[in-house]
Amino acid sequence: MCACSQEIRTIKIKGSDTEVNLVTELAESFHKIDKSCYLSISGGGSGLGIASLLNGQADIATSSRELNSEETELFKKRGIELDTFVFAEDAIAFVVSPSLSLDSLTTETLARILDGTLTDWASLTGEKQPINIYGRQSNSGTYDFVKDKLKIQFSRKAKEMNGNAQILEAIKADPSGIGYVGAGYVLNDRNGQSRDIKVLSVSQDKNSPAFSPLDSNAVFQHQYYFRRHLFQFIRKSSAEVAAPFIDFEKSTTGTGIIRKSGYYPVKIF
Amino acid sequence: MKKQKKHIGGWILLLGSTILICTFLVNIIFHLFSKGIPVLSWDFIFGYPTDGMTKGGIFPAIIGTIMVTLITTVFAVPFGICCALYLNEYAGESTLTGTIRASIRNLSGIPSIIYGLFGLALFVQSLKLGTSMLSAGLTLGLLSLPYIITTTEESLKRVPNSTREAALALGATQFESIRDFVIPQAMPGIITGIVLTIARVAGETAPILFTGVAFYITGIPGSVKQEFMALPYHLYMLSTQHQSIETVRPLAYGTVTVLILIIFLMNLVAFYIRYKFRENE
Amino acid sequence: MSIRFRENTDRFFSRLFSFTGLLTIALLAGIFFMLVYNSVSFFLNTEPIDFFTGFQWNPGNKGSYGILPLIASTVLVTFGAMLIAVPLGIFTAAYMSEFADRKLQKFLKPVIEMLAAIPSVAVGFLGIVVIGPGIAKLFGIQNGLNALNGSILLAIMSLPTIITVAEDAIHAVPASYKEASLGLGADKWETLFRVTLPAALPGLIAAVMLGLGRAIGETMTVLMATGNSLAFPDGYLDSIRTITATIAIEMGEVPYQTTHYYALFAIATVLFVITLVVNLLGEEIAKHYRKFGA
Repeated sequence: MCACSQEIRTIKIKGSDTEVNLVTELAESFHKIDKSCYLSISGGGSGLGIASLLNGQADIATSSRELNSEETELFKKRGIELDTFVFAEDAIAFVVSPSLSLDSLTTETLARILDGTLTDWASLTGEKQPINIYGRQSNSGTYDFVKDKLKIQFSRKAKEMNGNAQILEAIKADPSGIGYVGAGYVLNDRNGQSRDIKVLSVSQDKNSPAFSPLDSNAVFQHQYYFRRHLFQFIRKSSAEVAAPFIDFEKSTTGTGIIRKSGYYPVKIF
Repeated sequence: MKKQKKHIGGWILLLGSTILICTFLVNIIFHLFSKGIPVLSWDFIFGYPTDGMTKGGIFPAIIGTIMVTLITTVFAVPFGICCALYLNEYAGESTLTGTIRASIRNLSGIPSIIYGLFGLALFVQSLKLGTSMLSAGLTLGLLSLPYIITTTEESLKRVPNSTREAALALGATQFESIRDFVIPQAMPGIITGIVLTIARVAGETAPILFTGVAFYITGIPGSVKQEFMALPYHLYMLSTQHQSIETVRPLAYGTVTVLILIIFLMNLVAFYIRYKFRENE
Repeated sequence: MSIRFRENTDRFFSRLFSFTGLLTIALLAGIFFMLVYNSVSFFLNTEPIDFFTGFQWNPGNKGSYGILPLIASTVLVTFGAMLIAVPLGIFTAAYMSEFADRKLQKFLKPVIEMLAAIPSVAVGFLGIVVIGPGIAKLFGIQNGLNALNGSILLAIMSLPTIITVAEDAIHAVPASYKEASLGLGADKWETLFRVTLPAALPGLIAAVMLGLGRAIGETMTVLMATGNSLAFPDGYLDSIRTITATIAIEMGEVPYQTTHYYALFAIATVLFVITLVVNLLGEEIAKHYRKFGA
């Protein structure tokens, strides 16, 4: 039941662009049953969410990555305590144009493409085409996640797009491009535009099987390499105000929305 | 013969440029409105965004823009008019006045994002107002000050000195002559300036980026300490960050159409006031 | 109402008004102080040499804060914008001032004001939906979000400023100059190009400087339409990231009072100084042209 009192409680949620639409839908449904809480939601990247928590400008930060060591330091230095809530599983999809004659990659080849060592598709597809990388900016958790998983620095020539959507748009228009987006975005493209995009399968080396992020079992059984938890970090001082919303996310309605958005709700034990 | 070539060359350059500029405007408006107007409907203007912002309306953004502009006006107009009164009615030509005028000129040339930073440092952090409509409105208020001061001063200058002298001769104090004679006469010009400032502020995005605007809010802001939605930021989000860009593209066109319509409407109001005023002169 | 009361009211308001005048100086000083204070905090932690000559902007714990790619991007896109806007603007201003009849002038002035009223997000949006794809098709490249797109859009934004100021300048050239030239046998074109425009030159330069100042400080348009890549730009079909875009992108994600936070204030100070210099130059030159006209 509604745990918000008569006065309007404000909850500020900021962070990951991967999660912002999902959180918006959750907030929309939540507001239908509980009108006494005022939620304001912003995207801008996981870095922005966490910084906002540090700066006292947010109650909940949605993040597609863990806190790094500097951030943990800063939280400790400023005396801010956090609760962590894993509310979904996500997989990163590496997307190319359907016209590219390539269906899967090893993580090693992927690393060489994204750090700029490999600059042409010729050695992989036989067709001489320059590789155009469409990625995110440094404030994106997706950017950090891919960078850390592959242990590389991105090529300086990589284009830094403002969001997942721009990356998909760019790939649709560029037959020699490669980009990375949350799998949820590809699954969720409501006009069935996954036909304009090809999702590559990834294998950890030449001899292992390749898995696709669109395969939910592969994600849950941790077989797909690029899968990650989606986090919400909540300031302990705001925990009481935020509790009704968090409870809603855990409810059947909430997890239903998460699933519909193309993410895998974390199974509650 | 040579002269004719020069003539043709001249015409191409001058008339060509002018026509090009006019077609810019026409093309821009036509392109945006032709895709945007079909999207406008009662639900679009008065409805809430639904389905994760892929459907529904932009009402909270419209209200947010109106509310934050109101705060800006309440803050900047009195301040600006008082300053203009000081410069035109009270101050002589001294180094102090010169410095003030120079400050105002320089302030008007500062990029809007630096105002955003200042608003962040002053209102959000130092004054602890947090990211809120109040912080954003005050920041936009600072941004509008130079413009309001300049336009008010120009209107005051147009009031002939004889008016002031007549009032003083009749025994009014300087303040009374200003309050009862100068300001009423300068009013149309002052109001024009205010309306044009509002039109400009409604379209500003950079100053509100870190001072209080949000992607989605669940209700109309009930207090100025809450975050808000705004039309220009909404357009920015819909066209660059949203999940399904193609699905929401029509919404983006609708948003830009509403934004431009509001701004053009204000400009027309200002033109009208200016026109009527010039007629009476 | 007694005289005393009215006099006191008068004195009160007089003081109030002067106070607000001083507040504007305080505002400018406040902005300047905030920028400098935070920049100094930055330079306490980093070598200024690295900042001003570094080729990489890579914030982070052991990051590098070289401003050169940002400056190069800003210069590239504003230079391109001026290349487009200055001839177009001056010729349009010349037409409006010298060749258009009164009715046409009454029509053109609102047109220019309407163009000026279009907000920067709308222009940026245009860059994403129309001009960017147009560039991509024209040059056969995949993505139109680059410096050329930014230049065209910034030109659209600076044109109204350039046209208005240039038109004033050309209009202010005394009729006697033109009459003398025509009297000596020149036709109106020779008069325009050899007498009027050169005479208006200080005002024209002022117009360009003001337009330039506008273009340099523009944020949303470049943020939306230029690709925001951090590599040192190679040419106009390259994606770029200007100083303004960098501030807009990164300011939200920095915890307050960290090196990265201070670094953003440092580049904001550079931006502030550049626009200040450009605007002051424009003003100084404009003062020279005030010898014509009121």
